[in-house]
Amino acid sequence: MNLNIAITGLNATDNPAPGIPVARCLREANWKGKIIGLAYDAFDTGIYDKEILDEVYLIPYPNEGEIAILDRLKQISHKTKIDIFIPTLDSELFNANRIANELKNFGIHTFLPSEEQIKMRSKSLLSEFCMKHNIPVPKTQIVNDIRQLQNAVAQLKLPIVVKGVFYEAYVCHSLEEAIIYFGKINIKWGLPIIVQEFLNGEEYDVACVGDGFGNLVGKVPMRKLRLTDKGKAWAGITIYDKVLDQISEHIISALKWRGPCELEFLKEQKSGKYVLIEINPRFPSWIYLSAGVNVNLPFANVKLAVGEKIKKMSSAKAGFTFVRHAIDLVCPMNYIESLTIKGELIFKK
Amino acid sequence: MTNRNLKEEVTLTPNGFLFDHTTGLTYTLNYTSVFIFKKIVEQVEANKIIKELVQMFDIDEIKARQDFEEFFEIAKTYGIL
Repeated sequence: MNLNIAITGLNATDNPAPGIPVARCLREANWKGKIIGLAYDAFDTGIYDKEILDEVYLIPYPNEGEIAILDRLKQISHKTKIDIFIPTLDSELFNANRIANELKNFGIHTFLPSEEQIKMRSKSLLSEFCMKHNIPVPKTQIVNDIRQLQNAVAQLKLPIVVKGVFYEAYVCHSLEEAIIYFGKINIKWGLPIIVQEFLNGEEYDVACVGDGFGNLVGKVPMRKLRLTDKGKAWAGITIYDKVLDQISEHIISALKWRGPCELEFLKEQKSGKYVLIEINPRFPSWIYLSAGVNVNLPFANVKLAVGEKIKKMSSAKAGFTFVRHAIDLVCPMNYIESLTIKGELIFKK
Repeated sequence: MTNRNLKEEVTLTPNGFLFDHTTGLTYTLNYTSVFIFKKIVEQVEANKIIKELVQMFDIDEIKARQDFEEFFEIAKTYGIL
């Protein structure tokens, strides 16, 4: 494809963003257009990889609002044409949705879940959605103060999991511990706080792309083999389980999900049943595995963004492993200078 | 012996490395276990497997039955069968 794709989420430290793996997937599809990196900081790590990106531009942080990002994308488009915009971070999705029509008028396509879909899968509403559609989910309570937290602990029984509305989750074995993490998460991510029963089991994730009409276009199921101390996958292996496939299809169908997402499941040790833990409304950071098993989900998403009809992709072959590994990139001073002074870095013209 | 479709759901290499497609878990099987597991995949009956173990490993039937039952129990416990 000869289209220019702009991708965000390029920082890849111990909690890597999905942008660079998405770009690598497109490179695997013999990309002929430019792959443009959109970064928030001159030290977002992935932006210095000139083998993956053609150009890099700094953009405003999501909290500056949708108009700021729209203006910046238009400004960049005057320098280098952007055909497709792929935001890969949760925090960018509401802004991206609000400007999607205007971007389309400007010739920039997106393929994203709607604002309503994003809200429906939010941690505070997921439990309700799952109950309605008969999808197994841990018992959940939404709390806004310590009194509600105490009630939740009494009802769910210890241990419990205390989760932020956007990020972070802690297993707590006492009320005191739960109160500490309630405060910690509240300061960082605000209210409400999600309190869930603790289930023992193995974690399985499914990367998906939905067509927006209830069809699951492609999926890659994976079992996490190694985790970082932040609980992020550091190694994983593709699996094939009909039951997991059916639940994934059901969820995407119930949500009529449009675009990429990651379904996070726990296979409960006691019952052997899959329980849905979270739906992330974007590609996971391990999405390069999808290109490795010939179910290139970012490429499928790009095709959908430009209105191509695509057939349901075949299942990923089980037994393919990814292992994440860090490398050092060395770059001359003028790279950082260019980003700091001009807000851009052009590797290839 | 099992409700699982082992031909589709499990891969066993000649070296005894077993990968369960549905769980992503891997196991290492010794020579005897590989022999027994292959026979189970081929849906050979338990008594026939035991007789083949006797011939293959030059052991008596009691020992062969013990080995078969031990493997079967462990494989069941781990959810392989």
